[in-house]
Amino acid sequence: MLRYILKRLLIMVITLWIIVTLTFILMVSIPGSPFNSERGTNEAVQANLEAHYNLDEPYVIQYFLYLKSIVTFDFGPSIKQPSQTVNDMLGRGFPISFELGIITIIVAVISGVTLGIFAALKHNKVIDYMAMGFAVLGISIPNFVLATLLIQQLAVNYELFPVARWLSPAHMILPVTALATGPMAIIARLTRSTMLEVLTQDYIKMARAKGLSPWKIVIKHALKNALMPVVTIMGTLLAGILTGTFVIEKIFAVPGMGKYFVESINQRDYPVIMGTTVFYSAFLIIMLFLVDLAYGILDPRIKLHKKGGE
Amino acid sequence: MTKKWLLLVATIIITFVLSACTANEDAGKEPESDGEGEGTEEATGEKILQLNNGEEPTSFDPAIGFDAVSWNALNNLLEGLTRLGEDHTPQAAIAEKWDISEDGKTYTFYLRENANWSNGDPVVAQDFVYAWKRLLDPETGSSAAFLGYFIKGGEAFNNGEGSADDLGLTAVDEKTFEVELENPTGYFLHVVTNPAFFPVNHKVAEENPEWHAEAESFVANGPFKLESWKHDSEMVFKKNEEYWDAEAVKLDGVHWAMVNDTNTEYQMFERGELDSADIPAEMSDQLIDGDNVQIEEQGGLDFYRFNVTEEPFQNAKIRKAFAMAVNRQNIAEFVVKNKVKPAYGFVSPGFQNPSGDDFRDVNGELVTFDPEEAKKLLEEGMEEEGYDELPKVTLSYNTSDVNKAVAESLQGMFSENLGVEVNLENTEWNVFQEDQKALKHQLSRSSFLFDYADPVNFLESFITGSYMNRTGWSSEKYDELIENAKSETDEEKRWEYMYKAEKLLAEEMPAFPIRYYNQVEVVQEGVSNLLRHPVGYLELKHTDKQ
Repeated sequence: MLRYILKRLLIMVITLWIIVTLTFILMVSIPGSPFNSERGTNEAVQANLEAHYNLDEPYVIQYFLYLKSIVTFDFGPSIKQPSQTVNDMLGRGFPISFELGIITIIVAVISGVTLGIFAALKHNKVIDYMAMGFAVLGISIPNFVLATLLIQQLAVNYELFPVARWLSPAHMILPVTALATGPMAIIARLTRSTMLEVLTQDYIKMARAKGLSPWKIVIKHALKNALMPVVTIMGTLLAGILTGTFVIEKIFAVPGMGKYFVESINQRDYPVIMGTTVFYSAFLIIMLFLVDLAYGILDPRIKLHKKGGE
Repeated sequence: MTKKWLLLVATIIITFVLSACTANEDAGKEPESDGEGEGTEEATGEKILQLNNGEEPTSFDPAIGFDAVSWNALNNLLEGLTRLGEDHTPQAAIAEKWDISEDGKTYTFYLRENANWSNGDPVVAQDFVYAWKRLLDPETGSSAAFLGYFIKGGEAFNNGEGSADDLGLTAVDEKTFEVELENPTGYFLHVVTNPAFFPVNHKVAEENPEWHAEAESFVANGPFKLESWKHDSEMVFKKNEEYWDAEAVKLDGVHWAMVNDTNTEYQMFERGELDSADIPAEMSDQLIDGDNVQIEEQGGLDFYRFNVTEEPFQNAKIRKAFAMAVNRQNIAEFVVKNKVKPAYGFVSPGFQNPSGDDFRDVNGELVTFDPEEAKKLLEEGMEEEGYDELPKVTLSYNTSDVNKAVAESLQGMFSENLGVEVNLENTEWNVFQEDQKALKHQLSRSSFLFDYADPVNFLESFITGSYMNRTGWSSEKYDELIENAKSETDEEKRWEYMYKAEKLLAEEMPAFPIRYYNQVEVVQEGVSNLLRHPVGYLELKHTDKQ
């Protein structure tokens, strides 16, 4: 097990290095500069600024400076907002995105799994059709459309919730709903289909034959195996949602991390681009790793290394 | 097996409960923080204006924060020598009065005895010297530095050729500040209303160069002070009791949200969470005639630049033909909407000459819509160049919905009125800027917003070698007119030069105007005197809320 983990860690570091290198190459190859403005500055000032951010150095040196900043986890100040460092921005935005994300995931998993189980148990009955109809809607309505709809109806027309911003639990309800509906629908459909499959297995028939109550069979025997595909998609889902979603954060004015991803690229704010990319990639890689570990725990058939697992 | 399964469930439940707990903690805080905004307002009758700044201000360092998101706030936190009044002209502010030397080159400002910083320090001449030097220092890297080129030695210092000691800035004594200029600049009092010229408390700044980054260290000398600043989230202003004219300030404070989505902003306005909001583009038709709509002019121009170094636009007649084929009224009314005005000249309305007449009225309509004349000019131009067929023309714009709609209508107009098919091309803003500066476009979308209230601010863009030129066009006669317009002491004559310069621009047409800008917003009932100056900054000194 330890050997497996060490090996995975090494692969993770290499993956990260490849991502960083690719990001750097892409970053320097997009035309444009962080100092572009409608007015422009004179050349002496421009040169000064470039020197200040080491942008006048050859790319190789810039590349190593970036690697250094990543290893020390110090990306320096943002070019567009010089009085703030990239670490300030990550430190401020990530906890908020994380808070929004973790609540969203919990809501999505609990409601999605519940919906899926009901649909599977009442296979081809009204509840099944309703649940799956709901899930199809959830998948097909983009979250930004849902978000605007929720604000217009629940916040403006009925005044049940605040319109936007991130101040209290009441402020969280609408963004969480908008963000959780999509993943919930995916989880519900996955749970339903695997649940249906599991319910036809011999060991379930055996349990039925023993006279166990249907609920006990579902909870104790079927659900665990039915959840495997859900765990599979959790890794990407977690990383994506926890590190901020630009559109939902923008619509609800949630001061999370999402906007740094998008705006830093528009503004060619190199340190911020690098900081957010590295952070996101590292997070994603770690999440995938944790999911793989969770597999081994959940399903003994999957062995993480050659000799024995469980 | 079962144990592990239980463990997993337990973990999920614990996480859920924990996050519910943190949520509950917040729940305890909620009425408190909400109460601050609304509850106390009702209880004590405090007047807190609720505004939205869209996003985090770039910087509250006056030399760095050279954009609307910084200015809207900064103009109400700091105050310069002069301040734009309700009629948009400069009024005495931190400077109580001033003398101008005979040759118009030396300004002596006498600062108010009762002008203080929010920490109690007096505002002294040294604060201005410090701030203006910093503005021009090439190490600062300010994009507003060009505004300081009026100051003697300013351009040389900023270029890295001169030194700070040669700047024409002197603190004669604590409350007397003397400025020497390169040329008599008749509109200098306008220029210094720009936030780039705000003073900086030099004692505070020398001790802590990052004084402007947080609310705790920020010192204000304007109508409001910075009470708190949660980055990327909100700012709270409180009335500044140390302000020399604190009696005139009617609001007790301002709450700034940072909501960067026009629809959400408008929905917050509808719900009463904001006192002012922009009108979302798709709702323009249905809202623009409402009683709560406030429209203010904005000095600036939406226009297109020709590249005169590339075929076919090296020919003035062909350039004019394109300019005259554009129906500006239609673009303003049906494409851009929001009651913007079509531009028949380059300088937007709102600049008054010494006798009180508007620049635009005096110089009249210079670029009109005349499809027949346009067609004639195109034929003449093609003959001059010996074209049987016009070389391919590509029209470029930076990606945005409005720009796209305008570009498409231009394409239609050129096709209909000239029989010319142009291709459209769009690139992202940053790339677009670079290509335009490098003269890689043929015909490209451009925009200009005034920094101070004098037509020369725009007109000087087109002098030879200016980095604002971006057309390849050069005219000795034009350069001379602008040179004169910047140095003439006789105001009447100076304006004559500017009229002539604009006419020459329309004659040669290195660029053609489309429309002027305006500032449109919906304002909550009971809010009065929410003032937006045509040069683009928001004025809250006189604002009141019932």
